Amino acid sequence: MRPNVARLPVPAIKGVLETSFVDWPERLCAVLFLGGCNFRCPYCHNNSLVLHPDGLASLGVEELLHRLAPLKKWLGGICVTGGEPTLDPHLPEFLVLLKEGGWSVKLDTNGSRPEVLAQLLAQGLLDMVAMDVKTVLVQEKYDRCAGRPVDLGRIHRSIELLGASGIAHEFRMTVVPGYHGETDVAAWAANLAGRARLTLQNFNPKSTLDPAVVPAAGFPPDVFGRLCRLLPMSGEAGKK
Amino acid sequence: MPLKAEGKGGLESSVHREDSTDIALFVRTSQEDMLDWDRQRIVDALLRETLIDRDTAERISIEVEEIIQSGKVKTVTGPLIREMVNAKLLEMGLEEARRMHTRLGVPLYDVDQLLVQHNKENANVPHGPEATNLTLAEGIKKEYALLHVFSPDVADGHLRGDIHMHDLGFIDRPYCSGQSLEYIKKFGLNLPHALSKAKPARHADVLLAHMIKFAAALQSHFAGAIGWDAVNLFYAPYLEELSDREVKQLAQMLIYEFSQQAVARGGQAIFSDINIYWEVPKHFEAVPAIGPGGEYTGKTYAEYEKQAQRFAWALFEVYKEGDATGKPFFFPKPLVHITEKFFRTEGHLEFLHHICDVAGDKGNTYFVFDRGETAKISECCRLSFKLEATDFEDAKEPWRMRYSALQNITVNLPRLAYLAKGDDTRLFTLLTERIQLAVKGHEQKKKFIERLMALGEGGPLSLLAMKLDGQEYLRLHRCSYLIGMVGLNEMVKVHVGDELHQSEAAMKFGLKVIAHMNIVCKKMAESTGMKFVLEQTPAESTAYRFAKLDMAHFRADAEPVVQGNRDRGEVYYTNSTLFHVGAPVNPIARVEREGLFHPLIEAGSITHLWLGEAHPDKKALADFVINVFRHTQNDQLAFSPEFTACLDCGRTTRGLHDTCSHCGSTHVDGITRITGYFTKVSSWNKGKLGELAERYRNQGQFAN
Amino acid sequence: MTLFTKNDCRLCDQLKKSFDLAAMGVAVEVLDGSNAAALAHLAWHGLVETARKTLPLLVLDDSSTVADFRHIEEHLLRRAAQYGVAATAAGRGAEACVSGSCAL
Repeated sequence: MRPNVARLPVPAIKGVLETSFVDWPERLCAVLFLGGCNFRCPYCHNNSLVLHPDGLASLGVEELLHRLAPLKKWLGGICVTGGEPTLDPHLPEFLVLLKEGGWSVKLDTNGSRPEVLAQLLAQGLLDMVAMDVKTVLVQEKYDRCAGRPVDLGRIHRSIELLGASGIAHEFRMTVVPGYHGETDVAAWAANLAGRARLTLQNFNPKSTLDPAVVPAAGFPPDVFGRLCRLLPMSGEAGKK
Repeated sequence: MPLKAEGKGGLESSVHREDSTDIALFVRTSQEDMLDWDRQRIVDALLRETLIDRDTAERISIEVEEIIQSGKVKTVTGPLIREMVNAKLLEMGLEEARRMHTRLGVPLYDVDQLLVQHNKENANVPHGPEATNLTLAEGIKKEYALLHVFSPDVADGHLRGDIHMHDLGFIDRPYCSGQSLEYIKKFGLNLPHALSKAKPARHADVLLAHMIKFAAALQSHFAGAIGWDAVNLFYAPYLEELSDREVKQLAQMLIYEFSQQAVARGGQAIFSDINIYWEVPKHFEAVPAIGPGGEYTGKTYAEYEKQAQRFAWALFEVYKEGDATGKPFFFPKPLVHITEKFFRTEGHLEFLHHICDVAGDKGNTYFVFDRGETAKISECCRLSFKLEATDFEDAKEPWRMRYSALQNITVNLPRLAYLAKGDDTRLFTLLTERIQLAVKGHEQKKKFIERLMALGEGGPLSLLAMKLDGQEYLRLHRCSYLIGMVGLNEMVKVHVGDELHQSEAAMKFGLKVIAHMNIVCKKMAESTGMKFVLEQTPAESTAYRFAKLDMAHFRADAEPVVQGNRDRGEVYYTNSTLFHVGAPVNPIARVEREGLFHPLIEAGSITHLWLGEAHPDKKALADFVINVFRHTQNDQLAFSPEFTACLDCGRTTRGLHDTCSHCGSTHVDGITRITGYFTKVSSWNKGKLGELAERYRNQGQFAN
Repeated sequence: MTLFTKNDCRLCDQLKKSFDLAAMGVAVEVLDGSNAAALAHLAWHGLVETARKTLPLLVLDDSSTVADFRHIEEHLLRRAAQYGVAATAAGRGAEACVSGSCAL
């Protein structure tokens, strides 16, 4: 039975990756990209998704679900990412639709909308969450990484929500030379330790949002390896 | 090199000697001058080498002598005199005699180029004195094959690019060989004409030494891959006394030895495959195991499961580590068989995660799917076949299990579509004709190898003629003859209008083409008694050669469909039945749909998934692999990551980059899989470079 | 609906005798040694390996496959009823292929 999706208000899905081996730990998943973001991280590499989501056509939800249906026996779920998906007013309905279709759902978020996160968790719409915690929770540093002022109280609340949620979750941080140092990583890890899986991603200099203020390369692999080893337990798991 | 007369009057072969070694020495050492001119040697050579009569030969020799004596020619060489004679033969319309009297060799300019430039036909051949020796020898043997082994129609078919006969430079060898360790375990290293003979090994490390040397000996008797069946199982009886550390050490030695054999033929690593099973394959369960000293241990192989698993695990630990700089090992390629029994064997999931870890990280692992309780042997490369009743008899004495494909001939599919001009009947008729031409080529090669083999242990193929177990090492009656295809995708695009991934109609037509090839092979096998099987050609240079030839001779037709970068000459056709490398088809659809062809291609097929920079999760990969086994017809799967090796700091990073992410140097080389194996991108031919740029790396798709 | 068959296959013959397949809108593919179209059609459904073990095979309109002879008969009986075509199944005992020829 296919739900009648035509009449539903739907989120602006700007892109799809039908099979990803990297977006959900231990699972093969599909990835849906929602447009628009409330952060302006200068080192963001999805800049068109963030800056000009309207320039990208939206994919039809019905067609998309139809496309994913035959892959169902292969996939461990659907990862909804962005941009920042919690900004989309139609996200909850859309996730209901996915859950009704029998899909497991992972959400990628920057944690700036704890009220949406709380609602999704309360409705049981999420099976896993990956939250980008951009840096240590220090106002000046956070604002610089996010590219605009951030209400850290909201970030804290999202971290707490996930800790209490009982569902699988991870906190991750993209590390950028000039933005993140060893002490930042150590403090970040200490702050979040014991809560969830922690991972680091190395900065990728391709097609960044603000090339003028970001370095030309990520950390050399050995330095990145050293940073990963500052994380409790996870170590190698943090390398991507 | 002074251009003086070389050889006696230039007709070096006029000296009657029994064996070729003396003639070669003679040519090299003799530097005689015009005083030794003897017209009679021209006559002798013509009578010996051609079918012309004595009077004609005399006349030719006199005319050539007149030219030389007339003073128009200041210096003469053997080749020059021969060409003058050939010119006379042509003048007289004696074309056949001229062909028989022809001289095979290489122009001075070409040799100079060769010694300096890098030959990129085979990326597995590095540049060096041994490699240029190989190229020179191959060049002459190739000419010899085309002139002398194959009939003119077959040779012309090859030269025109209707078909491609692989490894013509290795005309005096079969194509590839698959065997088990049992042969050397039972008979030791006991090769014809060897300076010493070794008894069967008593220790694991000695067995390894025997295996390496035997592989090297085989490499010098086969053109292509050397494969080993169930390596971890057949090693197992030697491992009982070893600690885990020692087993790991052995695994390390094995992989390093095979990967560093570039000191061998033509400076070329031995193209080697090792087949690995987590379970004890059914057909070996009850077979009495051979252990130290070539003696039966009193146990069956079923009892060695744990030891075999220990070795398999250790081998993949070594693959995971990579070489001293973290680069993946290029050889030996590990082929892991996924079977129904695999899933019933304890510890299989951990092992699957282990090999998926290697697949995602280094890319070495090949997943071979043997579905439905049928036993399969992977001979070499991607060549595999199902065991038949006689094979099960052989399996009781596994040293008998030696398999070879004698030759591989590939059909240029897109060209058929150019010629058919949309007419189905014409297309299938042409396809049948091409296969018949390939069959003829196979028959001629078989005859030639039979002639060499008939000379027995005193002949040039003594190793293949040795009869340690009562039958010759090369079991000619069991050989396969491979018929491959290149460019189904482009053929279908021309004939139907879409590439394979673009429409159901294209896909269905593609299946019909391969079904037709399958059926014609079967019919030809019935009528000749030879085993013709389809294989997906690992068309490293053929895909480039066909595209280049078609761009030259069928430009208007080829231009719209040929892949790659036309301006840079980096053109190619898509390999075998594969989808276009850049087709935006997700990995699931690719394994499913490419897999539909696999059951029709009985000698083996593969799907490649290019991972690019992405570092996949091992458990996600494992789930994927299980689903491929359960839900598709796909035969074999490999994941190909890409790497950048820095030539300055020597370190390796993930992804293809212009600069080293360790030290920032721009002095870097890319590493990824070319067709069936990993190699350095700098050694790739133009066609393959064009393909690399277009490979689809499972990136996200955005509408715009 | 497509029925994959072979010429010297006893079970295939049985079905052809019991049912007026043409009248029931069932396409019949005959996998003889020279029918590339039928073989390609079989491959399209991913059934080459299955056919090497057993024939006949019935592919339903939703692309699912029926390999068990009794089940094939049941499907065909239902189809015959739908199309108003008279048919009788061969009944018990007919499903065994003794010669081993009922495979590709």
